[in-house]
Amino acid sequence: MDSDSTEHLFRAAADGDGAAWEALVGRLSPLVWSVIRSYRLIDADAHEVFQTCWFRLADNLGRIKEPDRVGSWLATTARHECLKVIRGSRRVIPTSDLDVLSPGADDRSPERAVLDAEEADGQEALLRSVWEAYERLSENCRRLLRVLMASPPPSYAEVAAGLGIAIGSIGPTRGRCLAHLRKLLAG
Amino acid sequence: MNEDTELEGRLRRAAELFDPVPESLLRVARGAYAFRTADAELADLTFDSLAGPAPVRGGAQPRLLTFDGPGVSIDLEITPSGAGGRVVGQVMPAQQATVEVRGAAPRTVTTDGLGRFVIGDVPSGPFSVRCRAGDTAFTTEWVTV
Repeated sequence: MDSDSTEHLFRAAADGDGAAWEALVGRLSPLVWSVIRSYRLIDADAHEVFQTCWFRLADNLGRIKEPDRVGSWLATTARHECLKVIRGSRRVIPTSDLDVLSPGADDRSPERAVLDAEEADGQEALLRSVWEAYERLSENCRRLLRVLMASPPPSYAEVAAGLGIAIGSIGPTRGRCLAHLRKLLAG
Repeated sequence: MNEDTELEGRLRRAAELFDPVPESLLRVARGAYAFRTADAELADLTFDSLAGPAPVRGGAQPRLLTFDGPGVSIDLEITPSGAGGRVVGQVMPAQQATVEVRGAAPRTVTTDGLGRFVIGDVPSGPFSVRCRAGDTAFTTEWVTV
């Protein structure tokens, strides 16, 4: 088993290895975040759901039977929590595009330094045009593509778990949505 | 196909730039490890009024939750209040117990003789309690309040 595979990290974390847990958080946080973002909760709710997912995984380290599927477990947990927030009597104002386009200064990821370099290269304008075109897609396309944007790229099993859809529907929908996005970028 | 992979790659970089995982959340997730509990004493969420496909909604109804542990269970009724909620609960079978709110702002309450308790001003966010009754102790799964 690959020593930095998700499965290995999970088993090590379950055995008490705190560094493995931190590596697992680094590996799977973008997937959890992408699933949550695909449901377009307001920021405060998105933050709370994200925290619940990780607290719950920590408690379940000894109980998850298929460590290679921990990504799908987290994606499923995130989906269920998002749906409960949406069904609850809580704040249900959708996130505004402005919020998404202007992340707070305190909320910058470690990747930010790398991306700052890209910005200097004039890449940011190109990526912004992609992002803005993405925001104009249908809700179904935005939802699927947002989960596919997780880094590292999620497996289709993880995508299906996060969205509650059949694995077989992902490929065709992805192709259609990317074609539409390409059209928006050309037009 | 390669075209699609390339465009998806650009989307991925755009998401890293415009909608990254907030660093504050990564810190919380790393810290969650310290709060973990022994699996043997985890009480599963077995009922949640928000879990159904189409709950009946009539204004701000309380959320009802049941957690089942080994030989004990705990019912919670959560009513939204301010920026969080008010939790009314009961430990079953009815008995006196101590109930401790887990997380960043721990608090402990003692139930009455029938296992009933109230916790006001629970901040919104992840919520779980650890309960000690007689010589049993159990911890509920986390839910988002």
